[in-house]
Amino acid sequence: MKYLFTSIVGSFVFDNNFNLVEEVRFKKGKLSGKSVEEGLKKKYKDLKKVPEEKLGEVLAFLKKKDYFTQFYNQNLVLTKKKIKSSVSEDLLIIQAISNYIELDKVCNLLSRRLREWYSWYLPEFAESLEDNEKFTELIVERSKKDLMKELGIEDTMGSDLGKEDVREMILLGNEILSLHSLRKKHEDYLQKIMKTYCPNLLALAGVTIGAKLFELGRSLKHLAMLPASTIQLLGAEKALFRHIKTGSKSPKYGVIINHPLIQNAKKQERGKVARSLADKLILCIRLDYFKGEFKALEYKKDLEEKFGQ
Amino acid sequence: MSKKIKNHQIFEIYQEIKGKRIYTKSIVKGTPFSERVVRDGGVDYREFEPRRSKLAAAIVKGAHNIGIRKGDVILYLGASHGYTCSYLSDVVGEEGLIFGIDPAPRVMRDFVFLAENRKNLVPMLSNANHPEEYVDKVCLVDIVYQDIAQKNQAEIFIKNCKMFLKKDGYGLLAVKARSIDVKRKPKGIFNEIRQELEKEFIVADFKSLEPFQLDHCMIIVKKK
Repeated sequence: MKYLFTSIVGSFVFDNNFNLVEEVRFKKGKLSGKSVEEGLKKKYKDLKKVPEEKLGEVLAFLKKKDYFTQFYNQNLVLTKKKIKSSVSEDLLIIQAISNYIELDKVCNLLSRRLREWYSWYLPEFAESLEDNEKFTELIVERSKKDLMKELGIEDTMGSDLGKEDVREMILLGNEILSLHSLRKKHEDYLQKIMKTYCPNLLALAGVTIGAKLFELGRSLKHLAMLPASTIQLLGAEKALFRHIKTGSKSPKYGVIINHPLIQNAKKQERGKVARSLADKLILCIRLDYFKGEFKALEYKKDLEEKFGQ
Repeated sequence: MSKKIKNHQIFEIYQEIKGKRIYTKSIVKGTPFSERVVRDGGVDYREFEPRRSKLAAAIVKGAHNIGIRKGDVILYLGASHGYTCSYLSDVVGEEGLIFGIDPAPRVMRDFVFLAENRKNLVPMLSNANHPEEYVDKVCLVDIVYQDIAQKNQAEIFIKNCKMFLKKDGYGLLAVKARSIDVKRKPKGIFNEIRQELEKEFIVADFKSLEPFQLDHCMIIVKKK
């Protein structure tokens, strides 16, 4: 009786006492040896797979300097191939949403600086408008005089800066506007990619919450394996572990707090809404992962009826 | 010029004459992790930082015998970016071989770049929880080193040692107590794992890695 063992290095035939009978070494880049195996099977008739308790002897045989470079080369090629094929929609969504969140932060930071800066020039206008994006748009488009006319004032506390000083502010404003437009493009892109990849989740959770769930859950597969209670608390890990360790109050929701259903609920009911929303979300995620039908709108209707909106 | 570096009591590890920093003799040029390099007698010595590597922490804490020698074959589970791996590759030298296993593609990418410079590092994108997946990609090894933050880390270690470790070979297990249970005290967890390992192996050494690594310990075992 003889044993056959195929490794990444080559195919080997051993006899009963695990002495080598024949070996066929693979060339670089050739990773499976089905044809070689079949050839050997024809040559030796009573070939058997190596039983598990005897694997050690085969592996000990392979531990020779002779094979080391081949182990290195073959595994390197294989690993590179695997890394190449590991790029998926999950990754793209995670990168896009991460940048989306970062752009949010940067926009806020720069807008605050612009507001502060512009307040030395025309404080009345900076005070009157809350929305950052609109504020930036207006100061880039219109001059100080126009804005003063709009506000209905004749004199201002701001000093009369020279043209060059104002230009710097306008340049910063343009930069902020382009960041805002990039953010919007990211959102459209996410919408597009999620519509094909996870339509149910998109319909129930919306773009940002859905994508944030991806960021925290790493992938659709991993998300689909999670229980609903974990989905409910994704993004509230700090509070949860504080609760486990010190016995403080448990958190009610993680990133799903921004969902309109929770935002519009009464304060006493929020935890309840979060729980049922998480239940429906996990159903949606599993429908998407196992390529089920489109049911998200039904769930949404259920929830809205249940919580009276 | 006077000498700056002397031998450490462990093979292939070097030590400053003044001070406690430990080094390995670099087999290739370059500093992939922007670490400190000391040049002595025309040879580059790379600093091995105990705050970044659990193996270095164990050595600084006084582990006498880590079992690793020149020319050994090592199975490294949880290779990550390859920080510790790059030093082990210095230790085993060009005649040795290190199989670095990690399931995450992102960190494996960094590891592949490292492995392209060092011909004794073998990158493998597999899950250490399923040793049968990579049984046809490795050979029998002298050392199994594991640094995985999983709940069943002891079970994974025993599984891999049974399959790939040679007789009388050493196994090094870095235990992270926080990934087993956040609530319990680390000491109890370490003792539990130690007892679990004592059923299968001879426990040669046990070192807690405070203050370099919080709630970690290193257990060194020998296969019966």
